[in-house]
Amino acid sequence: MAEEVLIEVEAVQAVYGDDCLVLDKYPPHLHVHIKPRTADVSSQQFVEAVIGIRAVSEYPDEPPHISIIDSKGLDEQRQKHLVTGIHNRACELSSCAMLVALCEEAVERLSSMNHPDGNCPLCLYPLVEEDADNKLPFMKLMSCFHCFHCECIIRWWNWLQTLKETDSTNISGATLHVSGEMENQKGMHGATQESVGTCPVCRKVFHAKDIDHVLALVGTHSQLRSEESDVSDDKRLLQSDSENIRRLKFEATLKLQQENSGLIEPKKNEVLLPGTFLPQPITHPSTVSDKETTEQQHADQVINAETSSGSPSDRPSSSKHRYSGMRKHQGRNSREQVKQWIRKENDSTN
Amino acid sequence: MTSSSAASRKALSKIACNRLQKELVEWQVSPPAGFKHKPTDNLQRWVIEVNGAPGTLYANETYQLQVDFPEHYPMEAPQVIFLHPAPLHPHIYSNGHICLDILYDSWSPAMTVSSICISILSMLSSSTVKQRPEDNDRYVKNCRNGRSPKETRWWFHDDKV
Ligand SMILES: [Zn+2]
Ligand SMILES: [Zn+2]
Repeated sequence: MAEEVLIEVEAVQAVYGDDCLVLDKYPPHLHVHIKPRTADVSSQQFVEAVIGIRAVSEYPDEPPHISIIDSKGLDEQRQKHLVTGIHNRACELSSCAMLVALCEEAVERLSSMNHPDGNCPLCLYPLVEEDADNKLPFMKLMSCFHCFHCECIIRWWNWLQTLKETDSTNISGATLHVSGEMENQKGMHGATQESVGTCPVCRKVFHAKDIDHVLALVGTHSQLRSEESDVSDDKRLLQSDSENIRRLKFEATLKLQQENSGLIEPKKNEVLLPGTFLPQPITHPSTVSDKETTEQQHADQVINAETSSGSPSDRPSSSKHRYSGMRKHQGRNSREQVKQWIRKENDSTN
Repeated sequence: MTSSSAASRKALSKIACNRLQKELVEWQVSPPAGFKHKPTDNLQRWVIEVNGAPGTLYANETYQLQVDFPEHYPMEAPQVIFLHPAPLHPHIYSNGHICLDILYDSWSPAMTVSSICISILSMLSSSTVKQRPEDNDRYVKNCRNGRSPKETRWWFHDDKV
Protein backbone atom coordinates (compact mmCIF):
# COMPACT_ATOMS: atom_id res chain seq x y z
CA MET A 1 0.00 0.00 0.00
CA ALA A 2 2.56 2.50 1.12
CA GLU A 3 4.64 1.72 -1.92
CA GLU A 4 1.86 2.71 -4.31
CA VAL A 5 1.38 5.91 -2.40
CA LEU A 6 5.08 6.71 -2.65
CA ILE A 7 4.91 6.24 -6.40
CA GLU A 8 2.02 8.67 -6.46
CA VAL A 9 4.03 11.29 -4.61
CA GLU A 10 6.82 10.87 -7.12
CA ALA A 11 4.31 11.37 -9.90
CA VAL A 12 3.21 14.69 -8.44
CA GLN A 13 6.83 15.74 -8.16
CA ALA A 14 7.42 14.74 -11.74
CA VAL A 15 4.49 16.81 -12.99
CA TYR A 16 4.96 19.86 -10.80
CA GLY A 17 8.70 19.88 -10.33
CA ASP A 18 9.85 22.75 -8.15
CA ASP A 19 6.27 23.79 -7.62
CA CYS A 20 5.79 20.75 -5.43
CA LEU A 21 7.20 20.71 -1.94
CA VAL A 22 7.10 17.35 -0.18
CA LEU A 23 6.91 17.85 3.56
CA ASP A 24 6.29 14.19 4.28
CA LYS A 25 6.56 11.24 1.94
CA TYR A 26 4.36 8.99 3.96
CA PRO A 27 1.64 9.58 4.72
CA PRO A 28 1.97 12.22 2.02
CA HIS A 29 1.97 15.85 2.98
CA LEU A 30 2.51 18.20 0.04
CA HIS A 31 2.45 21.88 -0.75
CA VAL A 32 1.80 22.41 -4.43
CA HIS A 33 2.07 25.80 -6.08
CA ILE A 34 -0.82 25.90 -8.54
CA LYS A 35 -1.19 28.38 -11.36
CA PRO A 36 -3.97 28.70 -13.89
CA ARG A 37 -3.29 27.76 -17.49
CA THR A 38 -2.31 30.98 -19.13
CA ALA A 39 0.13 29.71 -21.71
CA ASP A 40 2.90 31.16 -19.60
CA VAL A 41 1.80 34.69 -20.33
CA SER A 42 2.40 35.91 -16.84
CA SER A 43 0.64 39.21 -17.33
CA GLN A 44 -2.53 37.23 -17.96
CA GLN A 45 -2.26 35.34 -14.71
CA PHE A 46 -4.50 36.92 -12.11
CA VAL A 47 -4.64 34.19 -9.50
CA GLU A 48 -2.42 31.55 -7.97
CA ALA A 49 -2.40 29.41 -4.86
CA VAL A 50 -0.27 27.09 -2.81
CA ILE A 51 -2.42 24.11 -1.93
CA GLY A 52 -1.72 21.93 1.06
CA ILE A 53 -2.59 18.24 0.63
CA ARG A 54 -2.24 16.21 3.78
CA ALA A 55 -3.09 12.52 3.79
CA VAL A 56 -3.47 10.17 6.71
CA SER A 57 -2.25 6.58 6.82
CA GLU A 58 -5.72 5.38 5.74
CA TYR A 59 -5.23 7.19 2.43
CA PRO A 60 -6.60 6.68 -0.21
CA ASP A 61 -9.68 5.28 1.50
CA GLU A 62 -9.73 8.38 3.60
CA PRO A 63 -9.46 11.51 1.38
CA PRO A 64 -6.60 13.86 2.20
CA HIS A 65 -7.16 17.16 3.96
CA ILE A 66 -7.02 20.13 1.57
CA SER A 67 -6.05 23.64 2.62
CA ILE A 68 -4.81 26.87 1.08
CA ILE A 69 -1.36 27.76 2.33
CA ASP A 70 -1.03 30.95 0.36
CA SER A 71 -2.82 32.64 -2.51
CA LYS A 72 -2.87 35.72 -4.68
CA GLY A 73 -5.85 37.35 -6.31
CA LEU A 74 -8.38 35.18 -4.47
CA ASP A 75 -10.79 36.56 -1.91
CA GLU A 76 -12.20 34.35 0.81
CA GLN A 77 -15.13 33.26 -1.25
CA ARG A 78 -12.97 32.15 -4.14
CA GLN A 79 -10.53 30.42 -1.81
CA LYS A 80 -13.40 28.49 -0.35
CA HIS A 81 -14.64 27.59 -3.78
CA LEU A 82 -11.22 26.23 -4.63
CA VAL A 83 -10.90 24.12 -1.49
CA THR A 84 -14.43 22.80 -1.76
CA GLY A 85 -13.89 21.82 -5.37
CA ILE A 86 -10.74 19.88 -4.60
CA HIS A 87 -12.31 18.28 -1.57
CA ASN A 88 -15.35 17.13 -3.55
CA ARG A 89 -13.10 15.67 -6.17
CA ALA A 90 -11.20 13.80 -3.45
CA CYS A 91 -14.46 12.29 -2.19
CA GLU A 92 -15.40 11.23 -5.72
CA LEU A 93 -12.07 9.51 -6.19
CA SER A 94 -12.11 7.86 -2.80
CA SER A 95 -9.86 4.78 -2.61
CA CYS A 96 -8.20 5.58 -5.96
CA ALA A 97 -4.79 7.13 -6.29
CA MET A 98 -5.77 10.76 -6.54
CA LEU A 99 -2.93 13.13 -5.70
CA VAL A 100 -2.17 14.14 -9.27
CA ALA A 101 -5.87 14.33 -10.07
CA LEU A 102 -6.42 16.69 -7.17
CA CYS A 103 -3.70 19.00 -8.39
CA GLU A 104 -5.26 18.93 -11.83
CA GLU A 105 -8.59 19.80 -10.30
CA ALA A 106 -6.94 22.79 -8.66
CA VAL A 107 -5.50 23.89 -11.99
CA GLU A 108 -8.93 23.62 -13.60
CA ARG A 109 -10.58 25.61 -10.87
CA LEU A 110 -7.93 28.30 -10.93
CA SER A 111 -8.10 28.52 -14.70
CA SER A 112 -11.83 29.14 -14.51
CA MET A 113 -11.24 31.83 -11.89
CA ASN A 114 -8.40 33.47 -13.72
CA HIS A 115 -9.79 36.97 -13.81
CA PRO A 116 -9.69 39.81 -11.31
CA ASP A 117 -12.44 40.11 -8.81
CA GLY A 118 -14.41 43.04 -7.50
CA ASN A 119 -13.91 46.70 -8.29
CA CYS A 120 -11.02 48.69 -9.64
CA PRO A 121 -9.61 50.42 -6.53
CA LEU A 122 -9.10 53.63 -8.49
CA CYS A 123 -12.42 54.30 -10.24
CA LEU A 124 -14.48 51.91 -8.07
CA TYR A 125 -16.21 50.38 -11.07
CA PRO A 126 -16.13 46.60 -11.56
CA LEU A 127 -12.99 45.25 -13.15
CA VAL A 128 -14.87 42.62 -15.05
CA GLU A 129 -17.93 44.32 -16.44
CA GLU A 130 -20.71 42.19 -17.82
CA ASP A 131 -22.12 44.92 -19.94
CA ALA A 132 -20.21 44.68 -23.19
CA ASP A 133 -20.46 48.41 -23.85
CA ASN A 134 -18.66 49.29 -20.69
CA LYS A 135 -15.77 46.92 -20.96
CA LEU A 136 -12.41 48.33 -20.12
CA PRO A 137 -9.16 46.44 -20.26
CA PHE A 138 -7.71 45.58 -16.89
CA MET A 139 -4.30 44.52 -15.68
CA LYS A 140 -2.47 43.37 -12.61
CA LEU A 141 0.73 44.61 -11.09
CA MET A 142 3.18 41.81 -11.55
CA SER A 143 4.53 41.83 -8.02
CA CYS A 144 1.44 42.00 -5.85
CA PHE A 145 -1.38 40.86 -8.19
CA HIS A 146 -3.49 43.91 -7.35
CA CYS A 147 -5.66 44.62 -10.34
CA PHE A 148 -6.74 47.86 -11.97
CA HIS A 149 -8.23 49.08 -15.19
CA CYS A 150 -5.34 49.75 -17.52
CA GLU A 151 -6.33 53.34 -18.06
CA CYS A 152 -6.72 53.91 -14.33
CA ILE A 153 -3.28 52.61 -13.35
CA ILE A 154 -1.67 54.43 -16.27
CA ARG A 155 -3.26 57.63 -15.12
CA TRP A 156 -1.76 57.08 -11.66
CA TRP A 157 1.58 56.24 -13.20
CA ASN A 158 1.56 59.39 -15.32
CA TRP A 159 0.50 61.41 -12.33
CA LEU A 160 3.44 60.15 -10.31
CA GLN A 161 5.86 60.83 -13.14
CA THR A 162 4.49 64.33 -13.59
CA LEU A 163 4.89 64.99 -9.90
CA LYS A 164 8.44 63.79 -10.10
CA GLU A 165 9.20 66.15 -12.95
CA THR A 166 7.67 69.00 -11.02
CA ASP A 167 9.68 67.96 -8.05
CA SER A 168 12.99 68.05 -9.83
CA THR A 169 12.40 71.37 -11.56
CA ASN A 170 10.77 73.20 -8.72
CA ILE A 171 12.38 72.67 -5.39
CA SER A 172 10.51 75.12 -3.28
CA GLY A 173 9.47 73.94 0.10
CA ALA A 174 5.95 74.59 1.12
CA THR A 175 3.99 73.68 -1.97
CA LEU A 176 5.55 70.31 -2.48
CA HIS A 177 3.36 68.41 -0.10
CA VAL A 178 2.39 65.77 -2.62
CA SER A 179 5.67 65.14 -4.27
CA GLY A 180 7.18 64.94 -0.86
CA GLU A 181 5.21 61.74 -0.59
CA MET A 182 7.36 60.03 -3.10
CA GLU A 183 10.58 60.88 -1.41
CA ASN A 184 9.36 59.92 1.99
CA GLN A 185 7.85 56.66 1.00
CA LYS A 186 10.46 55.29 -1.24
CA GLY A 187 13.40 57.14 0.10
CA MET A 188 15.46 55.37 -2.47
CA HIS A 189 15.32 57.01 -5.83
CA GLY A 190 17.45 59.92 -4.77
CA ALA A 191 19.50 61.17 -7.66
CA THR A 192 18.55 58.40 -10.05
CA GLN A 193 15.69 59.26 -12.30
CA GLU A 194 14.47 55.70 -12.60
CA SER A 195 10.75 55.59 -13.07
CA VAL A 196 8.94 53.97 -10.19
CA GLY A 197 5.42 54.05 -8.87
CA THR A 198 3.64 52.62 -5.87
CA CYS A 199 0.70 50.25 -5.88
CA PRO A 200 -2.27 52.33 -4.70
CA VAL A 201 -3.50 49.39 -2.64
CA CYS A 202 -0.41 47.97 -0.92
CA ARG A 203 2.19 50.64 -1.78
CA LYS A 204 4.59 48.10 -3.12
CA VAL A 205 7.01 49.82 -5.46
CA PHE A 206 6.65 48.95 -9.12
CA HIS A 207 8.79 49.86 -12.10
CA ALA A 208 8.11 50.90 -15.65
CA LYS A 209 8.70 47.35 -16.79
CA ASP A 210 5.95 46.10 -14.49
CA ILE A 211 3.33 47.98 -16.45
CA ASP A 212 5.01 47.54 -19.77
CA HIS A 213 2.31 45.13 -20.90
CA VAL A 214 -0.30 47.72 -20.08
CA LEU A 215 1.31 50.61 -21.84
CA ALA A 216 0.98 48.54 -24.99
CA LEU A 217 -2.73 48.15 -24.48
CA VAL A 218 -3.26 51.75 -23.63
CA GLY A 219 -1.42 52.75 -26.75
CA THR A 220 -4.37 51.45 -28.71
CA HIS A 221 -6.72 53.56 -26.65
CA SER A 222 -5.02 56.86 -27.10
CA GLN A 223 -8.26 58.77 -26.74
CA LEU A 224 -8.26 57.78 -23.11
CA ARG A 225 -5.22 59.81 -22.48
CA SER A 226 -6.39 63.03 -24.02
CA GLU A 227 -9.10 63.20 -21.43
CA GLU A 228 -6.75 64.77 -18.99
CA SER A 229 -4.46 67.17 -20.66
CA ASP A 230 -1.65 67.37 -18.20
CA VAL A 231 -0.50 63.78 -18.28
CA SER A 232 2.87 63.18 -19.76
CA ASP A 233 3.33 61.09 -22.83
CA ASP A 234 4.80 57.64 -23.12
CA LYS A 235 4.87 57.38 -26.87
CA ARG A 236 8.57 56.80 -26.88
CA LEU A 237 8.16 53.70 -24.80
CA LEU A 238 5.08 52.50 -26.61
CA GLN A 239 6.69 52.62 -30.00
CA SER A 240 10.08 51.27 -29.15
CA ASP A 241 11.28 48.27 -31.11
CA SER A 242 11.46 46.01 -28.13
CA GLU A 243 7.92 46.86 -27.24
CA ASN A 244 6.72 46.06 -30.75
CA ILE A 245 8.52 42.75 -30.75
CA ARG A 246 7.17 41.90 -27.35
CA ARG A 247 3.68 42.62 -28.54
CA LEU A 248 4.01 40.47 -31.61
CA LYS A 249 5.19 37.59 -29.50
CA PHE A 250 2.36 38.13 -27.11
CA GLU A 251 -0.23 38.09 -29.84
CA ALA A 252 1.27 35.00 -31.44
CA THR A 253 1.12 33.18 -28.13
CA LEU A 254 -2.44 34.14 -27.64
CA LYS A 255 -3.39 33.03 -31.10
CA LEU A 256 -1.83 29.68 -30.40
CA GLN A 257 -3.64 29.53 -27.13
CA GLN A 258 -6.90 30.32 -28.82
CA GLU A 259 -6.43 27.63 -31.45
CA ASN A 260 -5.66 25.06 -28.81
CA SER A 261 -8.37 26.02 -26.39
CA GLY A 262 -5.85 27.33 -23.97
CA LEU A 263 -3.89 24.13 -23.70
CA ILE A 264 -0.57 24.92 -25.24
CA GLU A 265 1.64 24.62 -22.24
CA PRO A 266 3.06 21.13 -22.20
CA LYS A 267 3.24 19.77 -18.71
CA LYS A 268 6.68 18.96 -17.55
CA ASN A 269 7.08 15.19 -17.88
CA GLU A 270 3.40 14.59 -18.08
CA VAL A 271 2.49 11.37 -16.32
CA LEU A 272 -0.81 9.72 -16.91
CA LEU A 273 -2.30 7.89 -14.03
CA PRO A 274 -5.81 6.64 -13.56
CA GLY A 275 -7.97 9.66 -13.01
CA THR A 276 -5.22 12.06 -13.89
CA PHE A 277 -6.45 13.33 -17.15
CA LEU A 278 -9.29 15.76 -17.30
CA PRO A 279 -9.72 16.58 -20.94
CA GLN A 280 -12.96 18.52 -20.67
CA PRO A 281 -13.41 21.71 -18.72
CA ILE A 282 -15.38 20.66 -15.73
CA THR A 283 -18.62 22.31 -14.80
CA HIS A 284 -18.84 24.19 -11.59
CA PRO A 285 -21.61 24.29 -9.07
CA SER A 286 -23.90 27.14 -9.92
CA THR A 287 -24.02 28.23 -6.34
CA VAL A 288 -20.75 29.93 -6.84
CA SER A 289 -20.84 33.12 -8.76
CA ASP A 290 -17.86 32.24 -10.89
CA LYS A 291 -19.50 30.99 -14.00
CA GLU A 292 -17.23 29.29 -16.31
CA THR A 293 -15.08 31.29 -18.60
CA THR A 294 -13.84 29.09 -21.31
CA GLU A 295 -10.27 29.35 -22.36
CA GLN A 296 -11.45 30.16 -25.83
CA GLN A 297 -13.36 33.21 -24.76
CA HIS A 298 -10.55 34.28 -22.60
CA ALA A 299 -8.04 34.19 -25.39
CA ASP A 300 -10.38 36.10 -27.69
CA GLN A 301 -10.85 38.80 -25.20
CA VAL A 302 -7.25 39.22 -24.45
CA ILE A 303 -6.46 39.65 -28.09
CA ASN A 304 -9.07 42.33 -28.35
CA ALA A 305 -7.66 43.94 -25.30
CA GLU A 306 -11.02 43.66 -23.71
CA THR A 307 -12.00 42.55 -20.29
CA SER A 308 -12.62 38.90 -20.01
CA SER A 309 -16.20 38.31 -19.22
CA GLY A 310 -18.50 35.46 -18.45
CA SER A 311 -18.22 36.09 -14.82
CA PRO A 312 -20.84 38.21 -13.17
CA SER A 313 -19.42 40.71 -10.78
CA ASP A 314 -22.28 40.32 -8.45
CA ARG A 315 -20.16 39.97 -5.43
CA PRO A 316 -20.36 42.67 -2.83
CA SER A 317 -17.98 45.37 -3.80
CA SER A 318 -16.14 44.71 -0.58
CA SER A 319 -14.29 47.83 0.26
CA LYS A 320 -12.75 45.77 3.00
CA HIS A 321 -11.15 43.57 0.47
CA ARG A 322 -9.99 46.52 -1.52
CA TYR A 323 -7.89 47.82 1.30
CA SER A 324 -6.73 44.55 2.62
CA GLY A 325 -3.18 45.22 1.71
CA MET A 326 -3.00 48.86 2.63
CA ARG A 327 0.15 49.20 4.59
CA LYS A 328 -0.84 52.39 6.30
CA HIS A 329 -4.26 51.13 7.21
CA GLN A 330 -4.22 47.54 7.96
CA GLY A 331 -1.97 45.88 10.43
CA ARG A 332 -2.07 48.94 12.58
CA ASN A 333 -4.11 48.71 15.64
CA SER A 334 -6.13 51.72 16.57
CA ARG A 335 -3.46 52.84 18.92
CA GLU A 336 -0.81 52.94 16.28
CA GLN A 337 -3.19 54.50 13.88
CA VAL A 338 -2.82 57.85 15.50
CA LYS A 339 0.53 59.27 14.81
CA GLN A 340 1.77 62.55 15.96
CA TRP A 341 2.85 64.93 13.29
CA ILE A 342 4.56 68.14 13.94
CA ARG A 343 5.16 70.80 11.41
CA LYS A 344 8.56 71.46 10.01
CA GLU A 345 9.91 74.51 11.70
CA ASN A 346 11.18 76.44 8.71
CA ASP A 347 7.90 76.30 6.93
CA SER A 348 6.04 79.12 8.51
CA THR A 349 5.66 81.31 5.47
CA ASN A 350 3.95 80.65 2.26
CA MET B 1 -12.51 81.42 7.10
CA THR B 2 -11.41 78.16 5.67
CA SER B 3 -13.07 78.33 2.34
CA SER B 4 -10.93 80.79 0.45
CA SER B 5 -8.81 78.18 -1.22
CA ALA B 6 -11.84 76.11 -2.10
CA ALA B 7 -13.55 79.02 -3.77
CA SER B 8 -10.73 79.45 -6.24
CA ARG B 9 -10.45 75.71 -6.86
CA LYS B 10 -10.75 74.37 -10.34
CA ALA B 11 -13.80 72.35 -11.24
CA LEU B 12 -13.65 68.59 -10.92
CA SER B 13 -12.31 66.66 -13.88
CA LYS B 14 -14.63 64.21 -15.55
CA ILE B 15 -12.78 61.36 -13.92
CA ALA B 16 -13.07 62.94 -10.49
CA CYS B 17 -16.79 63.46 -11.07
CA ASN B 18 -17.37 59.85 -12.02
CA ARG B 19 -15.44 58.59 -9.10
CA LEU B 20 -17.24 60.86 -6.63
CA GLN B 21 -20.63 59.91 -7.98
CA LYS B 22 -19.69 56.30 -7.44
CA GLU B 23 -18.54 57.05 -3.89
CA LEU B 24 -21.76 58.90 -3.21
CA VAL B 25 -23.83 55.93 -4.31
CA GLU B 26 -21.79 53.55 -2.18
CA TRP B 27 -22.04 55.92 0.76
CA GLN B 28 -25.80 55.94 0.47
CA VAL B 29 -25.91 52.16 0.41
CA SER B 30 -23.55 51.72 3.34
CA PRO B 31 -22.32 54.84 5.11
CA PRO B 32 -19.49 54.32 7.59
CA ALA B 33 -20.86 53.86 11.11
CA GLY B 34 -21.08 57.15 13.02
CA PHE B 35 -21.21 59.41 9.95
CA LYS B 36 -24.02 61.24 8.18
CA HIS B 37 -23.84 63.04 4.90
CA LYS B 38 -26.74 64.64 3.08
CA PRO B 39 -25.86 64.87 -0.57
CA THR B 40 -26.28 68.33 -2.06
CA ASP B 41 -25.86 69.40 -5.64
CA ASN B 42 -22.31 70.37 -4.82
CA LEU B 43 -20.34 67.22 -5.51
CA GLN B 44 -17.08 69.01 -4.85
CA ARG B 45 -17.73 69.76 -1.19
CA TRP B 46 -19.16 67.29 1.24
CA VAL B 47 -20.10 68.29 4.77
CA ILE B 48 -20.23 65.21 6.93
CA GLU B 49 -21.58 64.85 10.44
CA VAL B 50 -19.40 62.84 12.81
CA ASN B 51 -20.70 61.30 16.00
CA GLY B 52 -18.14 60.48 18.66
CA ALA B 53 -18.04 56.74 19.25
CA PRO B 54 -19.74 55.43 22.40
CA GLY B 55 -17.34 54.73 25.22
CA THR B 56 -14.78 57.29 24.05
CA LEU B 57 -14.00 60.85 25.18
CA TYR B 58 -16.15 62.15 22.34
CA ALA B 59 -19.25 60.05 22.99
CA ASN B 60 -22.49 61.98 22.44
CA GLU B 61 -20.63 64.80 20.72
CA THR B 62 -21.25 65.78 17.14
CA TYR B 63 -18.82 67.51 14.82
CA GLN B 64 -18.77 68.44 11.18
CA LEU B 65 -16.14 67.53 8.67
CA GLN B 66 -15.75 69.50 5.49
CA VAL B 67 -14.27 67.61 2.57
CA ASP B 68 -13.22 69.56 -0.53
CA PHE B 69 -12.19 67.65 -3.61
CA PRO B 70 -9.49 68.87 -5.97
CA GLU B 71 -9.69 68.81 -9.75
CA HIS B 72 -7.66 65.62 -9.97
CA TYR B 73 -9.19 63.62 -7.17
CA PRO B 74 -8.39 60.81 -6.38
CA MET B 75 -4.84 61.31 -7.62
CA GLU B 76 -4.70 64.27 -5.26
CA ALA B 77 -5.96 63.98 -1.70
CA PRO B 78 -9.08 65.89 -0.73
CA GLN B 79 -8.78 68.68 1.80
CA VAL B 80 -10.40 67.56 5.03
CA ILE B 81 -10.98 69.88 7.97
CA PHE B 82 -13.31 70.09 10.94
CA LEU B 83 -15.76 72.99 10.85
CA HIS B 84 -15.93 75.19 13.92
CA PRO B 85 -15.94 74.06 16.68
CA ALA B 86 -13.31 71.38 16.05
CA PRO B 87 -13.02 68.57 18.59
CA LEU B 88 -10.44 69.04 21.31
CA HIS B 89 -7.77 66.56 20.34
CA PRO B 90 -3.96 66.50 20.43
CA HIS B 91 -3.86 66.23 16.61
CA ILE B 92 -6.62 68.64 15.72
CA TYR B 93 -5.91 72.37 15.60
CA SER B 94 -8.48 74.89 16.68
CA ASN B 95 -8.88 76.05 13.08
CA GLY B 96 -10.04 72.55 12.17
CA HIS B 97 -6.83 71.34 10.52
CA ILE B 98 -6.20 67.67 11.17
CA CYS B 99 -2.78 66.15 11.58
CA LEU B 100 -3.33 62.74 10.00
CA ASP B 101 -0.82 61.22 7.62
CA ILE B 102 -3.26 59.76 5.11
CA LEU B 103 -4.64 63.22 4.35
CA TYR B 104 -1.25 64.41 3.16
CA ASP B 105 1.91 62.46 2.45
CA SER B 106 0.36 59.04 2.86
CA TRP B 107 -2.63 59.60 0.64
CA SER B 108 -3.31 56.89 -1.90
CA PRO B 109 -5.88 57.07 -4.70
CA ALA B 110 -7.33 53.77 -3.48
CA MET B 111 -8.62 55.54 -0.38
CA THR B 112 -12.14 56.89 -0.30
CA VAL B 113 -14.16 59.40 1.70
CA SER B 114 -15.43 56.44 3.65
CA SER B 115 -11.99 55.16 4.52
CA ILE B 116 -10.90 58.67 5.52
CA CYS B 117 -13.89 58.95 7.83
CA ILE B 118 -13.06 55.64 9.45
CA SER B 119 -9.47 56.76 10.04
CA ILE B 120 -10.57 60.04 11.56
CA LEU B 121 -13.04 58.36 13.88
CA SER B 122 -10.38 55.92 14.94
CA MET B 123 -8.03 58.81 15.64
CA LEU B 124 -10.69 60.45 17.80
CA SER B 125 -11.55 57.23 19.55
CA SER B 126 -8.01 56.44 20.61
CA SER B 127 -7.46 59.81 22.26
CA THR B 128 -6.89 59.71 26.01
CA VAL B 129 -6.89 63.43 26.62
CA LYS B 130 -8.94 66.33 25.33
CA GLN B 131 -6.45 68.99 24.46
CA ARG B 132 -5.08 71.02 21.55
CA PRO B 133 -1.72 70.31 19.93
CA GLU B 134 1.13 72.00 21.77
CA ASP B 135 1.88 74.42 18.96
CA ASN B 136 -1.76 75.23 18.29
CA ASP B 137 -1.59 79.02 18.71
CA ARG B 138 1.47 79.48 16.58
CA TYR B 139 0.16 77.24 13.83
CA VAL B 140 -3.28 78.78 13.72
CA LYS B 141 -1.73 82.25 13.54
CA ASN B 142 0.32 81.18 10.56
CA CYS B 143 -2.79 79.96 8.82
CA ARG B 144 -4.66 83.24 9.15
CA ASN B 145 -4.52 83.99 5.47
CA GLY B 146 -6.85 81.03 5.05
CA ARG B 147 -4.35 78.59 3.71
CA SER B 148 -5.15 74.96 3.28
CA PRO B 149 -3.72 72.30 5.58
CA LYS B 150 -2.50 70.66 2.40
CA GLU B 151 0.01 73.47 2.06
CA THR B 152 1.47 72.69 5.42
CA ARG B 153 4.52 70.56 5.47
CA TRP B 154 3.58 68.08 8.11
CA TRP B 155 6.51 66.57 9.82
CA PHE B 156 5.97 63.29 11.43
CA HIS B 157 7.33 61.51 14.46
CA ASP B 158 6.05 58.52 16.33
CA ASP B 159 4.58 59.11 19.69
CA LYS B 160 2.84 57.41 22.49
CA VAL B 161 -0.70 58.71 22.33
ZN1 LIG C 1 -10.66 51.69 -12.91
ZN1 LIG D 1 -0.46 45.99 -4.57
